Amino acid sequence: MTAVDPCDWCEEVLQPYLDRELTDAEREEAESHLAGCSYCQKRYRFEEGLRRYVRQAVVEPMAPALKQRLSELRLEL
Amino acid sequence: MSETSSDGARRLAEGARDRVNFEEEALALADQVYRVARGFSRSKEEAEDLMQETYARAFRSWQSFTPGTNLRAWLLRILTNLNIDRGRRAQRTPDQQPLEESDYFLYNQLEAASGETEEQRVLDRLSQDNVAEALAAVPHDFRDVVVLVDIGDFSYADAAQILDIPIGTVMSRLHRGRRILKKELADLAVESA
Repeated sequence: MTAVDPCDWCEEVLQPYLDRELTDAEREEAESHLAGCSYCQKRYRFEEGLRRYVRQAVVEPMAPALKQRLSELRLEL
Repeated sequence: MSETSSDGARRLAEGARDRVNFEEEALALADQVYRVARGFSRSKEEAEDLMQETYARAFRSWQSFTPGTNLRAWLLRILTNLNIDRGRRAQRTPDQQPLEESDYFLYNQLEAASGETEEQRVLDRLSQDNVAEALAAVPHDFRDVVVLVDIGDFSYADAAQILDIPIGTVMSRLHRGRRILKKELADLAVESA
């Protein structure tokens, strides 16, 4: 087996890590690498920030009038 | 009143109560469903139309929902199918686009363009408008998954169920969709710099 560069591995698992989809063992390995690697840590913080940023950018509250219209779509009793 | 007709009346009343409960639960989830509808749509109006179609269909077919299962995922499945029906699929074929960049492509681009090394400052170079525009440019198959997971906060398993695709496909589309999104964001950020 060829040795995998730990930063390459970290890049590979970073998205599933942020998605909370890693196994416990993988998560621990990723966290222990992140704790000691400033290169990956910086990118981890960026990716985490980007995720939050994307979420905020497209999220606008639903218009109250729409909520009312949805409620009116209920069937007659 | 005979025993039978009072049983019938009770069943009717129970059915009505179940339906009202269902409708109330569905309406209570509307904000969360809207978030995904908005992510799928280019405009607020389009998102609102999609919401109304979704809820009209949900209220009509409430009996096909199994109580105790995930109502949010059930509603999202209706919404996703309607979105597909609207023919928002066939556009450019993303598989033909070369995409060699790494996951850190956007960070590296922005860092190089700004000379900043502090990640928050790098992020500050993006504008909110850029994000909406970049997301709209991601082909639908990929965007659906990105919207469900990154904006709707669904797990891979839920997204697979909603879109009726294998979990491995969710992961590969997510991976590719996020890279396309970052590439679009990088292009927009460099353009506006």
